[in-house]
Amino acid sequence: MASFDRRRINGPEESRPPVFEDDEDAEQISVTPKTRKGRANKDIRPIFLTTGLISQANGSSYIETEKTKIACAVYGPRQIKNAPYNEIGKLNVEVKFAPFSCSRRRAPLRDAEDRSISVLIQQSLLPSLRLELLPKSGIDVFITIIENDGVEACVASGAVAASTALADAGIEMFGLVTSCASAMVEEEIWLDPTAEETVRARASFTIACIPALGTVTNIWQTGQLTAEEAICCLEACQTCCRDIHNVMASALLNSQAAKCS
Amino acid sequence: MTSKSEKSYIQSSLLSDAPLRADGRSLWDYRSIFLETGIIAQANGSARVNVGGTEIVAACKLEVEDVESIDGIDGGRIFCAVSCSLSAYPHLSSAAIDDIQYDLSQLLNSTLGHSSLRPSNLSILPHKRSWLLNLDCIVISDVGNIYDVLFMAARAALWDTHVPITRAIEYRAPQRTSGDAMDESGLDTRQAAQAADFELKDYWTEGDILDGRDRWPVCITLNLISSKHFLDADPREDAAVPLRLLLIFSCPNSQKPLLQGTRLIGSGEIAPSEFKSLVEAGQKYAMALTKTLHAKLQSDSLQQ
Repeated sequence: MASFDRRRINGPEESRPPVFEDDEDAEQISVTPKTRKGRANKDIRPIFLTTGLISQANGSSYIETEKTKIACAVYGPRQIKNAPYNEIGKLNVEVKFAPFSCSRRRAPLRDAEDRSISVLIQQSLLPSLRLELLPKSGIDVFITIIENDGVEACVASGAVAASTALADAGIEMFGLVTSCASAMVEEEIWLDPTAEETVRARASFTIACIPALGTVTNIWQTGQLTAEEAICCLEACQTCCRDIHNVMASALLNSQAAKCS
Repeated sequence: MTSKSEKSYIQSSLLSDAPLRADGRSLWDYRSIFLETGIIAQANGSARVNVGGTEIVAACKLEVEDVESIDGIDGGRIFCAVSCSLSAYPHLSSAAIDDIQYDLSQLLNSTLGHSSLRPSNLSILPHKRSWLLNLDCIVISDVGNIYDVLFMAARAALWDTHVPITRAIEYRAPQRTSGDAMDESGLDTRQAAQAADFELKDYWTEGDILDGRDRWPVCITLNLISSKHFLDADPREDAAVPLRLLLIFSCPNSQKPLLQGTRLIGSGEIAPSEFKSLVEAGQKYAMALTKTLHAKLQSDSLQQ
């Protein structure tokens, strides 16, 4: 049921995506294999992270991990007009799904689901920034999801991209924020799950942390876990976050080296 | 709005050796909890909870859904929606209230709508029709601790819900030969898998209790201030201590409590070792809270 959008040519009111033969076969496999396909339980997918994608922004980054592609632009610190004086700067995170990013087309208008991801990414980034040095200012982080492989992966990669872009913009921070998602499949912890793996899992656990300080800035868990399993997931994600931190640091160093030479 | 000196006053009294709160509670006391179920006659289940002024009304309404539609799930599903009355947040704009509504609905949906909590008696005709349980909560007033009260109200409304008993029926043309001469009465429930339709068996009774009563979770909000935590913040404490950890525990009878959801909200960070001790403390509070709520709900349902 499409809402009428005056600025675009609207398609038919009710339409469904085509179902391909391979999709149908895949759906019928309800008993899924016990071991993970293609990588070990604790392996994350290789990350491609670079900065400087969007030249007119103060800082920008692009992250790609297999099927998750996210572009992030940071504008700021800039003055917030029409707002009362606030002595601590404001961080505004806006997430937008491209209409072609999901298997079912999303409307180009702002959706409600965008907000939940924005809130989680803002929660991840907030403690790392020195906003008390930026009174009356705001920092805008715009995240565009070009291809989406599950909400947890989007939140994790989005936070990584946003923190890299903030560092690229030269905003003072206590440390880089890294984020990692995990899923509890039967009794095993699988790190960096794809969308299908998350659906099969009985619980998913995503954290964002600052490895430089050793603190956790965001915890998001859904599904059913015992308390001990939750603590194991936290430790697994934390270890993985240190590796991601190296990737982020080297991406930033490379881009700075490229700028200077 | 609380001023900086008020915030620091509240923080220092909470951190002192003999912690002091505005109404004299200890750090781990809830304000008085008032719980009532069955308040809305037209709803399949309803409840009202009031904790020290924060009041939420929750009601469940069942509707029939086609499993083959886009959102339908075989076996039924739960959909939660929270709406905040404008009187609850008089100082916020309607856009900000929309945001709060959306966040609360998302939290309820991702927790209560999860497959591990799905009740088993929401199916009407397997693979064809099922019940869609609409859980609607209205925040009437908010003076702190909204998350805990929201889950208490949702839980109580789900506890109170009765699912109408249905019976699958099949329409068959008379004298039709389809293999063996089967009994052609509409009461042939062995043919339920091919049943074309259903009817309400008994109009006068409310129906079966919704399955999974003891699995519905409670939420414990641990407000974190340096290395201490406290429960049930009132609005000034909320403003002074912005960081909180939401732990949503399901404590089924005689089983280990299970964590159904975790969220860290507010500007601040925690150390991983802290998380461990917070989860253990939260588990303890969750079990105690579940026990007291259980006793109250049990006595309510016996009275009805």
